[in-house]
Amino acid sequence: MSGFFIRRLLQGVISIIGASMIIFVISRLSGDPILMLLPNDAPTSMIEETRRNLGLDRPLWVQYLIFAQNALVGDFGNSYRWKMPALKLILDRLPATIELAMCGLLFSVAVAVPVGVMSAVHRGGWIDRIGRVFAMLGQAMPAFWVGLLLILVFAIKLNWLPAFGHGSWSQLVLPAISLGWYPVAAQTRIVRSAMLDVLDSDHIRLSRALGTPERLIIWKYALRNAAVPLLTMLGVYFAAMLGGAFVVETIFAWPGVGRTVVEAVFARDFPVVQAGVLFTSILFVMSNLLVDLSYGLVDPRIRNGR
Amino acid sequence: MLLSVRDLQTHLHLKRGVLRAVDGVSLDVAEGETLGLVGESGSGKTLTGLSLLRLLPKGSGRIVGGSIKLDGQELTTLSEAALARDIRGRKIAMIMQDPMTSLNPVFSIGDQVGSPLRNHDIARGAALRSAVVDVLQRVRLPSPADRLGDYPHQFSGGQRQRIVAAMAIGCTPRLLVADEPTTALDVTIQVQIINLLRNIQADTGAGIILITHDLGVAASLCRRIAVMYAGQIIETGPVRAIYRTPSHPYTQALLAAIPRLGAKRARLTAIAGQPPSLIDPPTGCRFAARCTLRMDKCAEAPPNVTLSDGHSAACWKLV
Repeated sequence: MSGFFIRRLLQGVISIIGASMIIFVISRLSGDPILMLLPNDAPTSMIEETRRNLGLDRPLWVQYLIFAQNALVGDFGNSYRWKMPALKLILDRLPATIELAMCGLLFSVAVAVPVGVMSAVHRGGWIDRIGRVFAMLGQAMPAFWVGLLLILVFAIKLNWLPAFGHGSWSQLVLPAISLGWYPVAAQTRIVRSAMLDVLDSDHIRLSRALGTPERLIIWKYALRNAAVPLLTMLGVYFAAMLGGAFVVETIFAWPGVGRTVVEAVFARDFPVVQAGVLFTSILFVMSNLLVDLSYGLVDPRIRNGR
Repeated sequence: MLLSVRDLQTHLHLKRGVLRAVDGVSLDVAEGETLGLVGESGSGKTLTGLSLLRLLPKGSGRIVGGSIKLDGQELTTLSEAALARDIRGRKIAMIMQDPMTSLNPVFSIGDQVGSPLRNHDIARGAALRSAVVDVLQRVRLPSPADRLGDYPHQFSGGQRQRIVAAMAIGCTPRLLVADEPTTALDVTIQVQIINLLRNIQADTGAGIILITHDLGVAASLCRRIAVMYAGQIIETGPVRAIYRTPSHPYTQALLAAIPRLGAKRARLTAIAGQPPSLIDPPTGCRFAARCTLRMDKCAEAPPNVTLSDGHSAACWKLV
């Protein structure tokens, strides 16, 4: 277990280094930030000086090494636009993003587990069929469209929930649903197929033969077996939600990391983009590690190192 | 009579057609008696066992005729809820073939052995724990009190089969259906499990139906044997009679196919041909196509001929 964990940790570190290189190069492909910072008629000497001050006159690989060296001690530089540490800018927005991702995940699990379980139990029945239609809808509807639709129906037509903002639970509902909508389909399918496998196993047959009530067989003895594949998927989706919430955050004006990074990209605010992306990739790697660890909670065979 | 099955008909409704998996089986098991149900795979012996608990494949399996009486209570008409509450695990329990897959990998054995006791309201709380330890002691699992929190993968195959047996006998059922309980185990462990079943029977006085393809295991544990072929019982009788004077040609062929130490003939006699399809079985004797003693009469269903006390076989040769 510990050898396995260390190996996964090393893989994670390599992934983060790779992500930092890619984002470093790609952000610089988007154009010259100086042009965004200075007025159009700024004299050449001023442009040169600003460029030198920001360290943008050096070769790309030197810039990267300086960035990497500073990043190791937590210094991602100052935002060109806001003149404050880029990391602080990101960290300030992080709680809102985590809050949204958690609620999105909670929504998807709360839908996917019961629907997946019932689809497996009543295979081919009406729940299974409705579940399949929902799964298809989930896969086919992109988050921005679901978000707009929800705003249209629940905020504008019915006036039940606010369309944007952050602070109260009612403002959390619509963004969480739009974020959690897409993964419902995949999660339902994985719960369904895992349950079908388990329900056909010898130990469930033995449980039945010994008179275990059907509700215990399904929700206790079978579901915990089916939880392992679901858990793997949840880790991946949670990470994807942390990093990929920018569409939903933008639609609902949610003050999270995603929206901050999107704005920074448009402003060519390299330090903020780099800090944001790097931070998200660290979270990504960490949540995958957490999933690896959590297998032990549901599966004793892994806990005991087998 | 503890268990009395008459003319049981169990069908599997498959896409290819209706498979008559169990076709007119009758058998009796007395209290404290062990009946061996012997036959090759596909002969319907496992489905006969599952029919007793009405645990047939969902959707396709159905009991379409006959009666199953346990202590005089008819089981074929009982509701699903009543079966789960009063029969399964309570009065009839089952031990399955593969101890490696019969236990739930993500629950502790304490939970699993306690589950039938909880579900049938035998014990709760602290009493449940001591009841679990007690039943694990009865199946001779070493130091059970320390191992209640352990998981199936921490036990060997033989130990797991003991745990499965503990789950089955927790509520002291009247009848134990053991489906190939030794097949997946090493020979030395097989002996231990056979002895365990013997002890369980001596302790509880339960009737046992031992489903096996292994005539040796059947002989060592059973008083009576019923030989199944193609969904029907073709010969039944005391172990001694079956082994000394096998009367149905299939039983004779089956015994001739057992390797014996010190036998002069080096070659074993295999039975030529395949069992008939049970979707559209032949109207007469089902073994006729493979039988070396076949006569014209075999195209009609053979009568069940009583040979001696409790020994009978279904074959025209015996008429």
